[in-house]
Amino acid sequence: MRKLISKLAPRSPWIYRLNAGSCNGCDVEMATAALIPRYDVERLGCKYCGSPRHADIVLISGPLTVRVRDKVLRVFDEIPHPKVTVGVGACPVSGGCFREGYSTGMPTDHYLPLDVIVPGCPPRPQAIIEGIIKALDVWRVRLEEDLCCHF
Amino acid sequence: MLPFLKIMARNLLLGPSTDPFPFAPAKTPEKFRGCAAHDQTKCILCGICKHVCAAGAIQLRAAEDGSGVEYVLWHNSCVFCGMCAHYCPTGAITMTDNWHLSHLAEEKYTFCETSFVAFGECVQCGARIQPRPQVIIDQLGARSPDRFLLCPKCKRESQVKHSAEISPIQPLEQQ
Repeated sequence: MRKLISKLAPRSPWIYRLNAGSCNGCDVEMATAALIPRYDVERLGCKYCGSPRHADIVLISGPLTVRVRDKVLRVFDEIPHPKVTVGVGACPVSGGCFREGYSTGMPTDHYLPLDVIVPGCPPRPQAIIEGIIKALDVWRVRLEEDLCCHF
Repeated sequence: MLPFLKIMARNLLLGPSTDPFPFAPAKTPEKFRGCAAHDQTKCILCGICKHVCAAGAIQLRAAEDGSGVEYVLWHNSCVFCGMCAHYCPTGAITMTDNWHLSHLAEEKYTFCETSFVAFGECVQCGARIQPRPQVIIDQLGARSPDRFLLCPKCKRESQVKHSAEISPIQPLEQQ
């Protein structure tokens, strides 16, 4: 039964957007990737969900500002395993042009494990779709290996 | 009358508006600014790209043996502003239209544009100078291409010799 589920689940990943103090540029591109028929990430079976507890793939944007850090970490812990984290934009991995700012500490990847990175400022919607496809491969491997499922 | 029929007919003729991207190559606009590319044969190591880079994506690391400089451009920090390409005096940095940049987190620090730029050598004494590619010789050294390839010391000597040939200094007694 579990094998069947792990085979079927990657055909319909639920995506959760997490804004870690982003400038809203990447969030607009992520929304564009789902809402505009030209890009339409939903034809790959993806669905944006509103609750972190339903999420499979997490799209994180932003350099993790000091003000939002605890809240983001708390929401991230709510997301059930096995999850795949995609860092969207230059900020989560390096801080981008907000690095060493007064309101940002270390970039997101010092606090959260990123699996796939989509650099760009912001990346174009097709690049985000490409990143989601890479995340799907990671997620498939994770489901088959049954990693982190015993929570 | 019935304008929606016109729209419907047009939509039927035009076909789906969805970009078939993951299954077919996506269309990239002509002037799309993607990741930067560095051409080591044109670089003169002036460092203006590093100076203007708002995101701090460019590093110039001196090689341990002092033979040159390792040029590293980290795509994960680049914001594609294109200032480096705009200010590069020799056109060594160009903005490509490549946006296929998504990668796994294991390649986080290896996913960068790395190239090695060797220092130049003075033609006369062999001292270490900035690299002198053909592009900068055409731009700055057009007046005296031979002198442009010298180190500052040899250049001073050659300049003094040259001016002495043109107007030799007369001893005071002769005047």
